[in-house]
Amino acid sequence: MAASIAPECNEIKEYAHRLSDSTRPQPLTWHGYRKYDTCFLKWYSEKYLRGNTTSNDCEALFTKYKSCLNKILKEKGIDSMLDDARKSSSETDAEFLRKS
Amino acid sequence: MKVFSSTCTFDYSWDEVSTANWRKYCPWNDKATHVVGVDTISRTVDPKTGILRTERLITCDQSVPQWVLSLFGGSATSHVYEISYVDPMAKKVTMCSSNLTWSNVLNVRETVVYQPSSVLSAATEFSQEAKITALCGGWQKIKNKVEEASVERFRENAKRGREGFETVLEMSRRVFGEQRALENQRLQA
Repeated sequence: MAASIAPECNEIKEYAHRLSDSTRPQPLTWHGYRKYDTCFLKWYSEKYLRGNTTSNDCEALFTKYKSCLNKILKEKGIDSMLDDARKSSSETDAEFLRKS
Repeated sequence: MKVFSSTCTFDYSWDEVSTANWRKYCPWNDKATHVVGVDTISRTVDPKTGILRTERLITCDQSVPQWVLSLFGGSATSHVYEISYVDPMAKKVTMCSSNLTWSNVLNVRETVVYQPSSVLSAATEFSQEAKITALCGGWQKIKNKVEEASVERFRENAKRGREGFETVLEMSRRVFGEQRALENQRLQA
């Protein structure tokens, strides 16, 4: 996954920075499940897709990452743009959040 | 309003595609360097259906001509709101996105669906539809021009998007394979 728009949240979000970012050369390794994106991907591929949909392994990491992100979204005024866009999500929820 | 739609098949299973889809804009994708941020805003699993619902904020640095920037007074950074649904039983991913930036001028609504191929085994069908509406007041002629230019841009980006995702799929398969081998080694040791 890509980086966060809030660089200070990357520490908790994802370890793999852009390859072109030569100031912080970090190997693209697959260990270190303490980061949210990596945790989610592991859960998604190993549990969720295999039928264990009720587990929530990454909840604590997500809460930490979200509180970091929300601060930045507010500072940049993106939160109000998002609120507007989210109003229309009830339409897509009605269409796609039911069993097909 | 103008509509752009396209379909294609990826030579990977739905499980692989739906997993790699979360990494579509990672550094492996050299065709999506304009995407500078992918942030998850909310994520829940519906207890009744098992459907995974995710909201994300995609941030792009567009190569926008300077005159456009001065006209709209904005910056080259734009944001897209994406809401997606994964139905693991039906094996279907649906992603709906809309632009947050310049939404008073142009409305772009895109729906993308990933489903197992009905003809090939271990392949995944991708379909994409975008509805583009120019909202600026004024002549219909100008609106048409804006919409046509946007559709053209969408077509070019869709091609790049496919190529970039192919790279991500290939890398994901390799890394997952290596990871699995490592874990097997550790288990045997």
